[in-house]
Amino acid sequence: MGYVDVSAVRHTLSDGRVLLDDVNFRVGEGARAALVGENGAGKTTLLRIIAGDLVPEAGSIARTGGLGVMRQFIGSVRDDTTVQRLLVDLSPPAVRAAWDAVEAAELALMETDDEPAQMAYADALAQWGDAGGYDVEVTWDTVTVAALGVPYDRCKYRSLSTLSGGEQKRLALEALLRGPDQVLLLDEPDNYLDVPGKRWLEERLLETRKTVLFISHDRELLARVADRVITVEGGTAWVHGGGFASYHEARSSRHERMAELRRRWDEEHDRLVELVRTLQQQAKNSPAMASKYSAMQTRLAKFEAAGPPPDRPEEQKVAMRLRGGRTGVRAVMAEQLELTGLMQPFDAELWFGDRVGVLGANGAGKSHFLRLLAGRDVAHTGSWRLGARVVPGFFAQTHAHPEWQERTPVDLLWHGEPGRPGVDRGRAMAALRRYGLTDQADQPFRTLSGGQQARFQILLLELGGATLLLLDEPTDNLDVLSAEALEEALAAFEGTVLAVTHDRWFARSFDRFLVFGADGRVYESAEPVFDEARVARAR
Amino acid sequence: MTLAVPPSTPGSPSELPGDPAVEQAVDRLRGEYAGRIRPQLVVRVVRDCRRDLGGSPVGAMPELVERLARVRLGRHIA
Repeated sequence: MGYVDVSAVRHTLSDGRVLLDDVNFRVGEGARAALVGENGAGKTTLLRIIAGDLVPEAGSIARTGGLGVMRQFIGSVRDDTTVQRLLVDLSPPAVRAAWDAVEAAELALMETDDEPAQMAYADALAQWGDAGGYDVEVTWDTVTVAALGVPYDRCKYRSLSTLSGGEQKRLALEALLRGPDQVLLLDEPDNYLDVPGKRWLEERLLETRKTVLFISHDRELLARVADRVITVEGGTAWVHGGGFASYHEARSSRHERMAELRRRWDEEHDRLVELVRTLQQQAKNSPAMASKYSAMQTRLAKFEAAGPPPDRPEEQKVAMRLRGGRTGVRAVMAEQLELTGLMQPFDAELWFGDRVGVLGANGAGKSHFLRLLAGRDVAHTGSWRLGARVVPGFFAQTHAHPEWQERTPVDLLWHGEPGRPGVDRGRAMAALRRYGLTDQADQPFRTLSGGQQARFQILLLELGGATLLLLDEPTDNLDVLSAEALEEALAAFEGTVLAVTHDRWFARSFDRFLVFGADGRVYESAEPVFDEARVARAR
Repeated sequence: MTLAVPPSTPGSPSELPGDPAVEQAVDRLRGEYAGRIRPQLVVRVVRDCRRDLGGSPVGAMPELVERLARVRLGRHIA
């Protein structure tokens, strides 16, 4: 068992801004704590400080029980790192050191096969054994069989880049959950996992007796797993001792309390300032009042020196206004539609105002279906058409716009595109402000975070006057608050919404579902279906 | 690198009667160095190597002993 104790931690960015200040919390033995906050609030930085990657400017970290860390990049490894290297890197420091010593001794032996090199190699092997290395290798075998379905010896030299993001994540999670470290720091462990994978993760986190601190934007995972929620906001962190179900209420109450304390301080400050002014006037006419004036000045100075209580954190400024408009009753009609080679022909009818979730197997053609309805060139047979006054607006996954990479949001808004008139800088800035993108207005699109790119795309939908929203995994990169802002905007949207999603929480806000099965069948369901297997393809 | 061998047993004697690491190395090296080095010397060198490598993982011992003995026997020839 182990714990993490964060005490008075302060961290300043290279540009001098204080990112975190006076951060205090404890994750006790066996706790499952979620770390949440908007994009850029400092969650990953805080995790890196706890992991020892960064040294805090002030404060300290205490921990026991051995620390296992899964970093955010696992899932997107595209270099030649091998399965073996990943497993070594996820091992305790003593195992890593022993492994590196064996590797170095082997290399030396290849260079010079003399007696000192052989004795050094034998010594390295002995240390490997002493560090528990042989037992670790048995565990690695269990890990690769569980995550990849093959023994360690058959996959140890395999490059991670040949594994899917979900397989990389699964491999790392299996290693950490089965490993000896008693405290786990997991940075977005659910990213790249499909819904069955997320469910597996939830079960494993619920059954583990280890202490877990994890960052996630998946509200379903947060609700099922977290027994406390640590929020990074306003440059510090606070802890909600309950689960995610009561988190929103707790956060609102905290903000109201902070605002109330600040309001009282401001009132008291105004009162003292006024009193000092009055006494100053009176002291001019009456020497007897001079001492009172002096005493009141001292009191005001002390009050100001103590400083005001922290103000409530500034709310993320995301106000999405997806207006839409009245269209024909039938918004989308498809007859015997088949996207070539992806599915069996199917019929579908979407009505004005429908909220339809598109679910199903990876590779079954969900995104292609949306692209077809958006007017893109997608090979198909059968027929489809949009109803009267239906204007499609398409939200693609964030990497789907190579042509935007070097352009700035202001530039993209200013030029407009067919169906979306350009706007001047003033209007562009006003719109970007509502989406919390003021600071990114003149940055190239490629430098925006995933969440910022997603918010910008939603802004384009707003300005395009769409009456049919075609959304492809819109919440994938959004933090919890932005995802909720999107849900609110969709609820107020007058029009039809069709969204591909793996976000179970988001899916619950839809009326019905179109499920793309692994067997090529497309069917309707009143309830969300997340069990469709991945489509098997020849590789 | 394959390290999948059982760990060494703490406190194991440096040379066990019928130690497979010694026996295997002696068998191979006696044949390899026949006519160049006396068999008794091969046995002694191998036993010395086994003793010097005491504490190494048991599973890796045959390979370690034979490699080290080969280096030392090579010195005798030279």
